[in-house]
Amino acid sequence: MNEKKRLPFGMGRLGTKWWVLVGVSLTLVTRGIIAYSQQASEGEVVTGMRDIGPMGGAAWGLYIVFVVYFVGISFTGICLASLIRLLNLKVLRPIVRPAEVMTVIALILGALAILADVGQPGRAFLMLLKYARPQSPFFGTFAMVISGYLFGSLVYLYLHGRPDAAVLAKRPGLLQRFHRWWAAGYGDTPPERARRVRSSFWLSVALLPLLITATSTLGFVFGLQGGRPGWFGSLQAPGFVVMAGLSGVGVLILIAAGLRQALGEKERLNLELFRWLADFLLVLLAGYLYFLVVEWLTNSYAAGPSESLVSQAILAGENAWIFWGSVAFLTLPAFLLLLQRLRGRVSLPLIVACGVMVNLAAIAKRFLIVVPSQTHGMLLPYSTGSYTPSLVEWEIVIGLVGLGGLLFALFVKGFPILELDRDYLGGTK
Amino acid sequence: MARYGMVIDLSRCHGCRACMVACKVENNTPKGSFWNYVFRFEEGVFPETRVSFLPRPCMHCDNAPCVKVCPVGSRHKTLEGLTLTDWDRCIGCRYCEVACPYGVNCFNWKDPKKNRYLDWSDPSLEGVELSHGMPYANPDLDLPQGSQGRHTAGGGRMKGVVEKCTFCVHRLEKGLLPACAANCPVGALVFGDLDDPESPPSQLLREKPHFRLLEGEGTEPRVYYVGGAPPTTASRQIEAVKARVER
Ligand code: SF4
Ligand code: SF4
Repeated sequence: MNEKKRLPFGMGRLGTKWWVLVGVSLTLVTRGIIAYSQQASEGEVVTGMRDIGPMGGAAWGLYIVFVVYFVGISFTGICLASLIRLLNLKVLRPIVRPAEVMTVIALILGALAILADVGQPGRAFLMLLKYARPQSPFFGTFAMVISGYLFGSLVYLYLHGRPDAAVLAKRPGLLQRFHRWWAAGYGDTPPERARRVRSSFWLSVALLPLLITATSTLGFVFGLQGGRPGWFGSLQAPGFVVMAGLSGVGVLILIAAGLRQALGEKERLNLELFRWLADFLLVLLAGYLYFLVVEWLTNSYAAGPSESLVSQAILAGENAWIFWGSVAFLTLPAFLLLLQRLRGRVSLPLIVACGVMVNLAAIAKRFLIVVPSQTHGMLLPYSTGSYTPSLVEWEIVIGLVGLGGLLFALFVKGFPILELDRDYLGGTK
Repeated sequence: MARYGMVIDLSRCHGCRACMVACKVENNTPKGSFWNYVFRFEEGVFPETRVSFLPRPCMHCDNAPCVKVCPVGSRHKTLEGLTLTDWDRCIGCRYCEVACPYGVNCFNWKDPKKNRYLDWSDPSLEGVELSHGMPYANPDLDLPQGSQGRHTAGGGRMKGVVEKCTFCVHRLEKGLLPACAANCPVGALVFGDLDDPESPPSQLLREKPHFRLLEGEGTEPRVYYVGGAPPTTASRQIEAVKARVER
């Protein structure tokens, strides 16, 4: 009885672990804000970026790398959530809500990373509203990905949260008002439920193609640039989608493992679920390694002189350690997961380690797409350039990651992070 | 209406870089920004070496990739064939910069006022009189340009926007040549209306074989070269300009 009085999943109760998470996140966010205010007052001279050409730099750096990374994660979150609902995959049901929350948070971070990158952030909104040109692939990133897609996934989260909110709205307490607002008159009666299920089905159906388009535009930001050796290509967009899947599933594994640990939810977040996630990861890894080989073969056999300069820089030059590191962090997890699969075991630490490695590889790969084509991809005989992110850039980017952690921690305390069972507190009618 | 373009006679250019300096003075560009850049190349192995020079302004491409990607239409083509940046509208995303295959764009990484070659507030400069105003404050640059009255002339505007060669749009409106062409001591930069068959550049193009840089990119540059050959992979830069901005 006492158990039933408490809110589910540690909501409303602030334990030590939670405070540690919040404390760490807050520290990172604060450092990020300090770094950003430095950039805002001095200009982007505080970054490691410089002009392409006589200045021998890269005009796009870590911020764009992380825009691509965050948007990729959010893409995966919403795709997985939609697929799990559409195909009704029971085992994976518990991670649907975390995936939706991950989508929304990652999108917010992506938008902030864009703002960190542009030289006139204050102007950006105004000018984009007044003069937006849909022909620019950047517009796709701004308008479709960040606003359309953010709106879509917020609605999604909102709709799917309503039954839980309806249940919780009946519970007195600090959060009651919030839950009431969320439920907004929804009572989870059978006709209401039918209507909600229908609208969420169509939303899923509508969202999926939008997502593929949106993430492809992100690939097009690079893929349509004929003048930058290494960027132009039709594999760019599909490669982006698969890499997005990898990093997204990786982060989801970390979130699920964290929740399992923190909430002691060994039943809902069971090993069977992790086995599924590991299988996803394995399939995506196989797909990506295939892309990698194709890319490498085309580059080494059929590339023009400037293309080979770029791939030289990647394979053997100053960026080689990043490349080979990312290859290691892609093949090692593939190997480990395959081994685990063949032996029919499920090891949570191993899956978590793979999740971490895959994410580091994803960031490294994004870096290799964005940077060497600028520093080594000059078609006129300028001297080769170089780019090393500055401390300010790292602090801003890590601050964004911290903000992600903070938002997640706050959400967990205000709303059930796992969907409530139907019979929770007599929620059935 | 005139449709401007430039023909560069490589057989005349001797790499003095006077055009680079003229551009800086005219357009008040900050430290590290070179709107016009003169490559000095060397080819071959000593003693069989050959030196050549290649001035590189913005190509004012007719099919400009930088214009296509600008999300807010700050980078645009004018009816006169110029590719210009509206610094009043640029959001500083630097997409034009990564899209341009010629490496001609300059971002204001810091406040241009704090990025001048000489600190003019230095007390030791007090009393220095300049006959035609301060060298960082060309008054013509503040005028709105073209029929739309957009803010496109000059450099050193504000931090966080992209700037590049304008073919001195503010001088063209007064009937003057771009500063680089006007100051080249050997007349290697020939500027004019490419639509007019009698203009000096059109005549030169008729007389001599010519090429454009990176023709294969399909950018349709409005800058032509005569009297030389395009750089190859064998062209090494002798003393590349170290363009730098520091905190
Ligand atoms: S040279 Fe570069 S900046 Fe100039 S018009 Fe062509 S693409 Fe645009
Ligand atoms: S930096 Fe300015 S001019 Fe260049 S694409 Fe972005 S908004 Fe347009």
